[in-house]
Amino acid sequence: MAGQLIQVATETVTSAVASVTLTGIDSDDVYMLAFNQVIGSSGNNNLEMRVTESGTANSTSNYDFAHKKLDATGSFSNQSTTNNAEFQLNIQVGNDSAFFEENEGIVYIYNANNSSEYTFITTETVFLNPFSGGLNGSQGGAVFTSASAVDGLNIFFSSGNIASGTFTLYKVV
Amino acid sequence: MADDLKYGYKGAEPTQSFGNNTGVFDPNDINNLIADNKWTSFGQLELIETQTVSGVASVEFTNLKTDIYNVHFMTMSDYVPTTYGKIIKVQLAESGTYETASVYQFAEQYNGLSAGSASFGETKSTGTNSFNCFAQQTTTNGTNDSWNGYCYLYNLGDSSKYSFSTYQTSSTFVNSVQYYSVFGSSVLPQASQVDKIKIFSASGNITNASISLYGIRYS
Repeated sequence: MAGQLIQVATETVTSAVASVTLTGIDSDDVYMLAFNQVIGSSGNNNLEMRVTESGTANSTSNYDFAHKKLDATGSFSNQSTTNNAEFQLNIQVGNDSAFFEENEGIVYIYNANNSSEYTFITTETVFLNPFSGGLNGSQGGAVFTSASAVDGLNIFFSSGNIASGTFTLYKVV
Repeated sequence: MADDLKYGYKGAEPTQSFGNNTGVFDPNDINNLIADNKWTSFGQLELIETQTVSGVASVEFTNLKTDIYNVHFMTMSDYVPTTYGKIIKVQLAESGTYETASVYQFAEQYNGLSAGSASFGETKSTGTNSFNCFAQQTTTNGTNDSWNGYCYLYNLGDSSKYSFSTYQTSSTFVNSVQYYSVFGSSVLPQASQVDKIKIFSASGNITNASISLYGIRYS
């Protein structure tokens, strides 16, 4: 079964929730998060994420991220912050499914289970911009700068709820 | 259940299917059930098809299994065109007909290196006739040149949603004097069910390439 994905946890949101938590990281393998048709209850927010330790989201200022915002209708931009309270996966996400503003994306997670290493991620997301209607994407990486055993992910919007979407965590073996 | 039950007992055999396996299984049983797609293993990255081609006009995937998969994954290795300096085009078919109009959008970042000189920049369009999966950059066919990469595709089978991609590529260029990596995303901004994918060169044929399409089950 080498080179396979094993589903660890999944959650499909059909009524609004503040966040989604997926746990089950319990090995030193690389893990992958796939999210599909994710949209918020309010617009112009960022899709963000924290790691969980023993099932609880860590909200300390130990998140560094850097990603490139891709924009088919405007300028590309660099997005980066150190010592943030969460990862940022993309910015300025809309909330109108009638205009196909849902988020799609993939996140790979490295070293999460290893309590002596930082947890790293790489990200790639895509959606339609709520203002221009044009294609937006974001690709980059981030690190949780705490040597601890991470067992999961907590995903949320910078403001408002997650109205709908599917989140699935896989182990890459 | 084991192929050969002990002590001469052989009971009624339950029907085996994905999500409903009953019995005690040895490795041989499991291998047989996997081969028959009847073994329960959630979240598989499942190979739909690999096409290794040479001297063809295009590569088409016509069985996307969109009734099973919401997210697809495609890899490309060792793509070389017959015609120098042409981009790789990807088009999606709706109800069997390829969308060839300039309705696709893409935005991508390229990261280049040529003889020690770095080059970074952006490429984008809101009206192109290619759904990018492997970068909209010119490819070349010199010594050791090849284009390689992967692409995630979202919502292909959902007739109420647009189809999106995110991708990364890594390639050598102009007789390997230049190196390019590209990451980006693309959309077919039409709510439709996609049933075929075609990969081809903007001009000429594909000298060689190996392209695999996977489905990510239960994504």
